[in-house]
Amino acid sequence: MPVWQHIYEELNDPNFVLISAAQDTGGEAVAGPIFDAANPTYIQVIDEDHVISSAFNFVNVPSAAWIDEEGRIVRIDESTYATTHQFGEGDAAFVFGNDIYAPALKDWVTKGASSRYVESADKVTGKIRQYTDEQLRADAAFRLANLFRAHGQEGKVEQYWKLAQSLNPDSVNFVRQDMTLTTEGSGGESFFKLVGEFASQGKEMSRPLNLDD
Amino acid sequence: MADAFAAYPDLRHPFEERPIHGAGHTTVLYQGKTICLTETGTGDGLLIRPSDLKQVNGFELKPEGACFDAMCIPLNDQLLVKQDGQEWFNLTAFADLLEQPYVADVDSRVWSFAEIPAKRSNMLVDGLAPNFEVTDRKGNVVSLADLKGKKALIVTWSSW
Repeated sequence: MPVWQHIYEELNDPNFVLISAAQDTGGEAVAGPIFDAANPTYIQVIDEDHVISSAFNFVNVPSAAWIDEEGRIVRIDESTYATTHQFGEGDAAFVFGNDIYAPALKDWVTKGASSRYVESADKVTGKIRQYTDEQLRADAAFRLANLFRAHGQEGKVEQYWKLAQSLNPDSVNFVRQDMTLTTEGSGGESFFKLVGEFASQGKEMSRPLNLDD
Repeated sequence: MADAFAAYPDLRHPFEERPIHGAGHTTVLYQGKTICLTETGTGDGLLIRPSDLKQVNGFELKPEGACFDAMCIPLNDQLLVKQDGQEWFNLTAFADLLEQPYVADVDSRVWSFAEIPAKRSNMLVDGLAPNFEVTDRKGNVVSLADLKGKKALIVTWSSW
């Protein structure tokens, strides 16, 4: 969050809008303090129903879309980190993210359509995940579960979150959001088991960033 | 590492049980919005008052049909149903016609509708961003229309 704010301030362009959307059924209580710690001046959304992920058919966080002045998507659905992050030290260090996305974003905001990072309509439509009836139905099931969650009906939360996961097994968002209600949380044993399952099936948990193709 | 992956675990599990809506009411979920209907018809499908259609999914009843922007769906006796002298709009039959999936918990009187595929077809054809409407932390409604004339980065993240 603080890094996005830094990038936003550096760009300081009134014709550039940054919308940061927390995909969090936990709502303001869990996502609010993280936003607040960054003192953002960009648009902050706490998207309990994952409306943004649904609109662009994102299956994991962080994901992003670049939208130009005419409402056209010029990049979409790739692992979107503002910088490199590291947890732990030495052999136990866990590093993720990258330092190349932010400069590419700045290049586009500055140069517009002539930026080398702008992708053609063909390329963009090729990258957008196709919707299926099951994926759309999964969104509906997920939102139904969220309503039950907000009203304390635990059994129905599990019923409909599990339905959402079975209808859209590519959605890491749905599985990990569900894990937040377990004692091990979303970064425990079950998550690493999921990582292994995706790997053994040759499935990507998110599309890797590739700025050169 | 654990802290970063599971921030505020104590706040994730509120489970304070409270009713979804008043007795005899029905809730419809669509595009992140929660709409409470005080009156619905009985029988198969979800029968709503025709005057509630606009608040439910943005469609308006016109002489040429149920219309949203340039899209108009002609009405027939499957969509407009008479019951005891009262006219109802069959929202689930309408969804079936539009190939709009939904999931219902009929016991709880809640219907959750997915997006209408036709509303997203432009994105898949020419990369035009689909319309969306969300409310920011200041309470402002943010929609794609507000972004016209500006470049936008829309990025998702999560606390989990």
